[in-house]
Amino acid sequence: MHKSFISQNPSVLWFLAALGLFTVIVTVMSEATGVGLVSTSFVKTLGKTLCLCLVAIAMDVVWGYCGILSLGHFAFFGIGGYAIGMWLMYARTEGIVLDSLAGQPIPATPQEISDAIGNQIFGVVGASEFPMIWAFADNLLLQLLMVVLIPGLLALVFGWLAFRSRVTGVYLSILTQAMTLALSLYLFQNESGLRGNNGLSGLQNIPGFEDVSQAAISLAFLWASACALGAGYLFFAWVISGKMGSVIKGIRDNEARVRFLGYHVESYKLFIFTITAVVSGIAGALYYPQAGIINPGEIAPIASIYLAVWVAIGGRGRLYGAVIGAAFVSLLSSWFTGGGAPPINLGFYTVLWTDWWLVLLGLAFVTVTLFFPKGIGGLFDYLVRKPS
Amino acid sequence: MSMLLEVDGVTVTFDGFRAINNLSINFAPAELRAIIGPNGAGKTTFMDIVTGKTKPDSGKVIWGERNISLLGMSESQIAMEGIGRKFQKPTVFEDQTVRQNLAMALKNPRSPFAVLMHKKTPSNAARIEAIAEETGLLDSLTRTAGELSHGQKQWLEIGMLLAQDPRLLLVDEPAAGMTVEEREKTTDILKRAAQTRAVVVVEHDMEFVRRLNCKVTVLHEGSVLAEGSLDHVTSNQTVIDVYLGRAHA
Repeated sequence: MHKSFISQNPSVLWFLAALGLFTVIVTVMSEATGVGLVSTSFVKTLGKTLCLCLVAIAMDVVWGYCGILSLGHFAFFGIGGYAIGMWLMYARTEGIVLDSLAGQPIPATPQEISDAIGNQIFGVVGASEFPMIWAFADNLLLQLLMVVLIPGLLALVFGWLAFRSRVTGVYLSILTQAMTLALSLYLFQNESGLRGNNGLSGLQNIPGFEDVSQAAISLAFLWASACALGAGYLFFAWVISGKMGSVIKGIRDNEARVRFLGYHVESYKLFIFTITAVVSGIAGALYYPQAGIINPGEIAPIASIYLAVWVAIGGRGRLYGAVIGAAFVSLLSSWFTGGGAPPINLGFYTVLWTDWWLVLLGLAFVTVTLFFPKGIGGLFDYLVRKPS
Repeated sequence: MSMLLEVDGVTVTFDGFRAINNLSINFAPAELRAIIGPNGAGKTTFMDIVTGKTKPDSGKVIWGERNISLLGMSESQIAMEGIGRKFQKPTVFEDQTVRQNLAMALKNPRSPFAVLMHKKTPSNAARIEAIAEETGLLDSLTRTAGELSHGQKQWLEIGMLLAQDPRLLLVDEPAAGMTVEEREKTTDILKRAAQTRAVVVVEHDMEFVRRLNCKVTVLHEGSVLAEGSLDHVTSNQTVIDVYLGRAHA
């Protein structure tokens, strides 16, 4: 059965091969192997890009295939980042505190240690007590479980409420934006227990691997991100290949008709919404250790809108389209906003790309939506078109 | 003979307008029935009530041997009980192939998990091919539904209904926009289907109804005006006044 799935979806094999080749090439050219053609910071950028591609294919499944324009999937991505960030920050601070207390004649009590860690982490927001939500922060396994459980449960509850009230279309999009905004505003508060606008930082330092160079750690995360993207791609390609794909595309195209065929549409939407949220959380948990920092700004509503823009530009309704869109636009974005693009001096006005990139992106989005609804991925149709 | 579906004293009001007014109508387990009536007579609203899309203000809708009430059930539950509906405008899934359309409609477990784990089986394939043959689409199984002609789309939708294996088929204007030959074929498909189940056809076209050669119910202003053979109802003076008179005007 698995063989027939692959043979029916040759693009999956092509994608996995390209992803593997890309990862190997980056590895060979990285600083860790001594070649150094690709800097460690660029390896991190590429690793982060793979995570963005993963959340983009999740977005493509929920929007491009199931027709739910969720403008909140980046919130699930951020939650995954926070969940892993809590452990990273706790474990590392614990290590530092224990080291500093090691030389003392009287050993510190567990309470003193806990207070010292709390002071280190929450001093910046004027607190030292651990909030309830940090209860499992000392346990990597439990915190990894949170990476999938919290986005999953939030999506399940939110989706259940929204779908059973038959909220659809633009109203659903607005609701998901409201959810993202509410979450972001909540996290901005110092009382949220997640360090307010400071967010969680120092996430690039992996506890237990203090002696390993960042060059090697960046490669490890590149490989982890590539594996997650490959697995996610395979999983979603399988989900959309069979009858499930038929039903969710049917829901996208004519929800009422699917209902009269006897399918409980709400359950299907909830299923797709929730599994894509879980995958988004996993992508976020891989992204933020490479970024080094997460703060509530990452969950701002605009981030989820960018996600939709990537998928639209890449071509929705095809997984590789979402990958292309996310990789292309996010890399281009960091090139433009990071000062990579030279300013254009028009004499009377100088075009600074940090300011004008958004205008360019907006134009690209409008152009693609109006004239190339299939996006960049649509170009592949010309390549593989059989001579008729 | 016990009835398959009993609609008893149903009333629906939209903003003060009585779309259905104390309507009572019954269907036997295996019969072909045509429902006719002028625009606004309540034909589509009647279908909406039976399929769960519209909730009536009062009255009863009783289904099957177990005499269960369809009111309060969701559209998908009613569909699973064995009521299939074909819409006036052909609504097939145009992006998908004829085979995928039929496979989706085929009577199988409908839960997300069952669908996710669904595997193609020879018996399902045989059922799909049998239905495709019945509706004249055997050569088009691999074609995208959007490429089909208008008539073929109508047949595909009827085929999707048959694939659900319902006990009651509600068919809204199947002959609209069809050529004469297409109409004949549609009549044959519906007549054959009615041998084993109840088929209710809502139709404007008198020629098509005549060809169906079945019991006719005339709706007017949300209730039954007359019932019987086509010749019987068309000779009824009230029917001539409210419906035929207007149609010929």
